[in-house]
Amino acid sequence: MSAQPSTQSRSVSPSSGPASPASRTWSSTTGRPPSTGAVVRTTVLIAGALAVVAPVVWAALASFKTQSELAQTPPTLWPHQPTLDNYTTGLKAFDFTHYLTNSLIVTVSATALTLVINSMAAYGLSKYNFRGRTVLFLITLSTIMIPLQVILLPVYQIVSSLGMTNSLLGLIIPPAATPTGVFLLRQYMLTLPDEMIEAARIDGAGEWGIFWRIILPLSRPALAVVAIFSVIWRWNDFLWPLIVAQDESKQTLPVAIARFASQQAIPFNQILAVSVVTIIPVVIIFLILQRQIIAGLAQGAIK
Amino acid sequence: MTTLAPQVGRQRSRRRPTSRTLAPYLFVFPNMLIFAVFTIWPAINGLNLSFYDSSNGRTFRPVGTENYTSILSDAEFWAVVRHTAAFTIGFVALSTAVATALALMLHAQRRGRGALSAAYFLPVLISPVVVGIVWRAALDRQTGLVNQVLSAVGLGQPGWLVEPSLAIVAIILVGTWIHLGFYAMILLSGLQSIDTSLYEAAKIDGSTPWQSIRLITLPLLRPTMMVVIILATIAGFQAFDFIYTLTGGGPVRATTLMVQYIYENGFSYPIAYGLASAAAVILFVVVFVVTFVNYVIGRRSEAI
Repeated sequence: MSAQPSTQSRSVSPSSGPASPASRTWSSTTGRPPSTGAVVRTTVLIAGALAVVAPVVWAALASFKTQSELAQTPPTLWPHQPTLDNYTTGLKAFDFTHYLTNSLIVTVSATALTLVINSMAAYGLSKYNFRGRTVLFLITLSTIMIPLQVILLPVYQIVSSLGMTNSLLGLIIPPAATPTGVFLLRQYMLTLPDEMIEAARIDGAGEWGIFWRIILPLSRPALAVVAIFSVIWRWNDFLWPLIVAQDESKQTLPVAIARFASQQAIPFNQILAVSVVTIIPVVIIFLILQRQIIAGLAQGAIK
Repeated sequence: MTTLAPQVGRQRSRRRPTSRTLAPYLFVFPNMLIFAVFTIWPAINGLNLSFYDSSNGRTFRPVGTENYTSILSDAEFWAVVRHTAAFTIGFVALSTAVATALALMLHAQRRGRGALSAAYFLPVLISPVVVGIVWRAALDRQTGLVNQVLSAVGLGQPGWLVEPSLAIVAIILVGTWIHLGFYAMILLSGLQSIDTSLYEAAKIDGSTPWQSIRLITLPLLRPTMMVVIILATIAGFQAFDFIYTLTGGGPVRATTLMVQYIYENGFSYPIAYGLASAAAVILFVVVFVVTFVNYVIGRRSEAI
């Protein structure tokens, strides 16, 4: 499957489908009434989607309930006296802005670092013929098989001996080189024409200049995909920050929330309120970039 | 796969030999350095660590295969293995089956496919830690959403997070809930790459929609399904974070899986680096073998 440059173009297509004349059937564009199968399928899909979204919506509603309403039996669905108390007290008790800042620093700088080093490696592996290229590519691929979970202790030892525990650097640098990122970017760069690079060389461009001014701008669709997945992953990451940032001041939101949630004294509706706030940023990013994410999934998985 | 540029580059290498020949190494260097320091070296060292004992986490004493023999005779380790296997098998089977059904329906659906996909994809975006918290509320015996719905249709109020056997079911359901949208999108893109003329030909030959799915779609979708099964298997063996806030590994450690076992032995007292390392090596070998077997089966079934 080739990487479609169509993801690059502004995806606001000129009104999908012709403006159909007012037809009497409400769920068919062909003018025929929908078949039984189509009705069943649509119903099942909508019911399933509601079931999937329900726990999140329900928890979000619960975060506006008072503590007594939350413990009430039979439970209520809609908050009777919606209150923002859980948000104000929860976010204050929790030092939310501090962990938010840590999470933002880690997510943004780790994603930037990942993009730079992954794309450099991908360019080296896709557009140069050099001794050791195949070996390096195979090593990169094989590290997909070595997830953090099984090398947790030895990685921690290395990070600790480098003095990077309890520092944001220890959160940012070790997981920055992602094999899937290199793989995805390499596959994309292989589709870029070599003649262009040669023409730039004849015009006197240096190797770094070619990479920075020609290859990177052309690789934007693939870079966007790697960036999105890096952001989602780093924002939500738990296990690595849990062991590296043992000092509270260096914790990211998921680690801090897990610690917050394990304290018996904290009312559950406050925990829910804090949780809801952390969901919002990634959901907004997803809604804006939905098309690229789905297209990126297609490119990354089917190889 | 030989590219044009390097050959041209070699001809002209007399003019600027160093920058051109050094460039690729400089480009791959930063990434490879981080791989080497934080993945490859630790992987080698982890294997090494599993042959050492360290009671305090500082001094290391070589013990041969003692960690392996003691872990393999540890009843708790085998309980963890059983729970991890039960979870992984249940999760892989359920998530692959539901994701395939979902992808087939989404593929046939024209109207509102984008919005529906976004709804199914939502859980992928949420931090697993928060997923655990949300589901802990939703699965609460008295006040949880799930039991509200179940008791409304007369199915009682099961103690999801109280009874060990139900807790395993709960983490399978939540794990599936998290990954469903991701796997369905991968399968959907696999479906979209199937040549539509095959369906038209089958239709002309008088095949029913069900026959088309069974005889055209599913065989051609098999490579994509193998990708999903392999991804799900790896995710199953590595499950930890949502379980940590959902059940904390309980009740009576029924949902303590392998990664939590490694984490507890390596990072909470009493620290047992050697045991944790041996467990990690065993986990890696199992994941590797299962993935490899899946891959071989996938390859063979493609050849038939």
